[in-house]
Amino acid sequence: MTSFQAPAWSVPVLIAAFVIFIGLVIFYVIKSRGIRRPLFAMPYTAWVALFTVIPCLLIAYYAFTDAAGRFTLDNFKSFWDSDYEMNRELIEMGMDPAELGFGRGTVNVDTLVYSLWMALLCTVICLALGYPAAYIMADREFRLGATIVVLFIIPMWMNFLLRTIAWMSLLEDNGLINNFLASIGLPRLRLMYNSGAVLMGMIYNYLPFMVFPIYNVLNKMDLKYSEAAMDLGASPIKTFLKVTLPLSLPGVVSGITMVFMPSVTTFFIPRVLGGGNTEMFGDLIERTFLTANNWNVGSALSLIMMVLILLSLGLLRKVDPEGEGEGML
Amino acid sequence: MKKFLQRFYIILILLFLYVPILVLIVQSFNAGKSRAKWEGLSFVWYEELFKSSAIMDALKVTVTIALLAAVISTVLGTLAAIGIYAMKKRPQALMMTLTNIPMTMPDIVTGISLMLLYLFFRVDRGYWTMLLAHITFDIPYVILSVMPKLKQMNKFSYEAALDLGCTPGQALRKVILPAVKPGVVTGAMLAFTLSLDDFTISYFTTSPLVQNLSTLIYSQARKGIKPTLNALSALMFITLLVLLLIVNRRTADNHPVKS
Amino acid sequence: MADNNVSRAEYVSMEEQPRLITLNNISKEYDGVTVLDHINLYIRKKEFVTLLGPSGCGKTTTLRIIGGFETPTEGTVIFDGQDITNLPAYKRRVNTVFQKYALFPHLNVADNIAFGLKLKKTPKDEIARKVDRMLELVNLSGYGKRSVESLSGGQQQRIAIARALVNEPEVLLLDEPLGALDLKLRKEMQLELKSMQQRLGITFLYVTHDQEEALTMSDTIVVMRGGRILQIGTPKGIYDEPKNAFVANFIGESNIVPGVMLKDELVEFCGARFACVDEGFGENAEVDVVIRPEDIVLVGEDVGHLTGVVRSVLFKGVHYEMMIEAGGILWKVHSTTMEPEGSRVGLSVVPFNIHIMHKMEEANAK
Repeated sequence: MTSFQAPAWSVPVLIAAFVIFIGLVIFYVIKSRGIRRPLFAMPYTAWVALFTVIPCLLIAYYAFTDAAGRFTLDNFKSFWDSDYEMNRELIEMGMDPAELGFGRGTVNVDTLVYSLWMALLCTVICLALGYPAAYIMADREFRLGATIVVLFIIPMWMNFLLRTIAWMSLLEDNGLINNFLASIGLPRLRLMYNSGAVLMGMIYNYLPFMVFPIYNVLNKMDLKYSEAAMDLGASPIKTFLKVTLPLSLPGVVSGITMVFMPSVTTFFIPRVLGGGNTEMFGDLIERTFLTANNWNVGSALSLIMMVLILLSLGLLRKVDPEGEGEGML
Repeated sequence: MKKFLQRFYIILILLFLYVPILVLIVQSFNAGKSRAKWEGLSFVWYEELFKSSAIMDALKVTVTIALLAAVISTVLGTLAAIGIYAMKKRPQALMMTLTNIPMTMPDIVTGISLMLLYLFFRVDRGYWTMLLAHITFDIPYVILSVMPKLKQMNKFSYEAALDLGCTPGQALRKVILPAVKPGVVTGAMLAFTLSLDDFTISYFTTSPLVQNLSTLIYSQARKGIKPTLNALSALMFITLLVLLLIVNRRTADNHPVKS
Repeated sequence: MADNNVSRAEYVSMEEQPRLITLNNISKEYDGVTVLDHINLYIRKKEFVTLLGPSGCGKTTTLRIIGGFETPTEGTVIFDGQDITNLPAYKRRVNTVFQKYALFPHLNVADNIAFGLKLKKTPKDEIARKVDRMLELVNLSGYGKRSVESLSGGQQQRIAIARALVNEPEVLLLDEPLGALDLKLRKEMQLELKSMQQRLGITFLYVTHDQEEALTMSDTIVVMRGGRILQIGTPKGIYDEPKNAFVANFIGESNIVPGVMLKDELVEFCGARFACVDEGFGENAEVDVVIRPEDIVLVGEDVGHLTGVVRSVLFKGVHYEMMIEAGGILWKVHSTTMEPEGSRVGLSVVPFNIHIMHKMEEANAK
């Protein structure tokens, strides 16, 4: 199945347009005798137009057209009912899919729900593991905070695919953990190729993104707030719950953003650690594009993904309108 | 007691992060091919690494793309940051929103949108399309590293330079660039490492004929990774570590602690 | 409508100097908002001119148009007989001392001062000589190697002045240069700047919202409001003869009361008639009457033009400030002698100290 593409002459036209644009900018610079600073952003503006705006519009374009380039909503119907096209063909042939035992194909929606559920679990566990870690690192008496931050960053330099694959050697039926269990006389466990393994791989990859923003906010927080709370008679636990925790909320929010967003769209980890039994939404999009070669439905799925992301971002922004917790990668 | 618990917890978390890496490094010295069984120390995988043309090609692609993307995105991004900073409110807000799009969009959507761009315009995917994609996702990081430095700058520095006789170009070189240099360096390093490590966007914007390390690893993941790749990433890991130590040393020397 | 072509009849001291800068009908709009509304102004050689007004009055925009950082929407800037309206900043023979100084943090003190000279490819030994002379001028000899961030606010401010002056500009523009300094340092710097200006014989165009600063330093004060010029004159001229209630209020403290000009040299307010020296308002014209607090003399209860009751007394160091209710109005009175609260006093004003002004139009008072 192929989809509508730009005619072959479009690339030279595009290049010509770019050259003309640059020429106009130069002309304007010469005419206005000297560069005005906003013009420094011109090359980037052209870049954004070509490599960000047009690609986004293309996704929208393909999502709302069929293979022949006509407007349609079928791609979204195909999201809701993954067998939509097959059922439609059956109806066109005069058969009733329900009679033949074909119902709605729920694969796509199920995958989305599964992805959201996994991402939620991953975010909650990262928060539960990461907040205490950040809290300890920001403790004034602990003193090693800055060093630990570096220790958190260093693993990220190793290719993330390899790091994920390395878990295979640990979790396999004949892996290190099972060998260890066997050597002390315990039964081997099935650790790989299930949701648990995928979840662990996700936590492993995204945990630092939860720790950094929370640590940042806690570390910058003025001690005088908690001291004032104690002075006013709050117990250490009350102080934490009523003062420190609310004040660290911006960090928590950006931590959640930075973990939840990528984990919804994870698309490598499930393949390696889940062994294909645990497809997530990212895998589904990739498969629709590259295996089924259906750009239209693939674009519709991507669009749905983007809308979900934007909605949750908007929701999170409401809690942290300043985006305070951000600023560290 | 509190201190002990704190340390214990942090050590557990770090262990979780480092165990796979240690496993990986240990495997690269394993004489056998098995992932779980130790068959003796050997450097056989390191030797094979340099003989494997696929890996060496991928390495070349990865490093040259990371370097080119870092340089180009740093130049474009720094200029863009300066320009956007000087814009009026509304165009500035628009440009910042557009800059944030690739950062908030999931990698997979960015990758697919770029793939659609190339498919739509019938551009064959390969080295150059991958480079363009890398520049695209690097620039926002450069802009966001340079912007805070511009904001910290005295509002009138640029005008002061013009006032003292600089042409706008001279003002850029003599006043603005020195002031934002730390941000530019951070941005460049960020761009380089992001590009080095990228898998998802590269995967969608290149052809199977031109692979970087990530896509090579991916294509091998199903068949089972050869320990040569472990050897390579162990080497790269150590290189980066040493580089960072040198950079840290140098910056520490340049800024002696004020007493 | 406000009179923008304000005459300078009262202004004499600089009369013999030629005009250096002329602003013809300058207007400036930002996104449809008028910031400057047809400004006409000229500045003479060696003159110390202050643009004075509340924030948002257009004084800084005027300065930036002369410096070349803004282009006017309308009108022309003439410098030494040449139209420089579209000349970029770096080609103008003026230099600026910026708010918060804008010293370059990556350069040391000497390199900051030498910045403009290096751009002009001045020989090295000459740069060194000029920098040293400038450091001497601003009393910071020996600070050349220091980093600018290690200097105090006052010192940074002096370096900013030195950095501008070393280029030997014909006009030095100063945009609230003392705004970040504490009161004592401000006073010192005011005198220092004034004497520097007189020694070097350079034209200064100074922007401030501090009326006291303007009165202390200027040859000429330009009072601005809402993008217009309200009055131009010498400090004394403006203080003694404010053109309207806004100027009177902005320059020093004033009692402003409504009155009726019965005929030339006779005004009625608070139910009493007063002799004054103003003429030409016509008969029975409604006017504003301005009397400075220090110009009201306290006399015996039955001798004054008005009789009142002291409502409050504040000690201000040199004088007492009393609020006295008389003729239905609360008068602010400065006096070196104190009358106790509640006592009855007589108020008297000599004709020369009664200033009559046209009622200010609302259009102007935005």
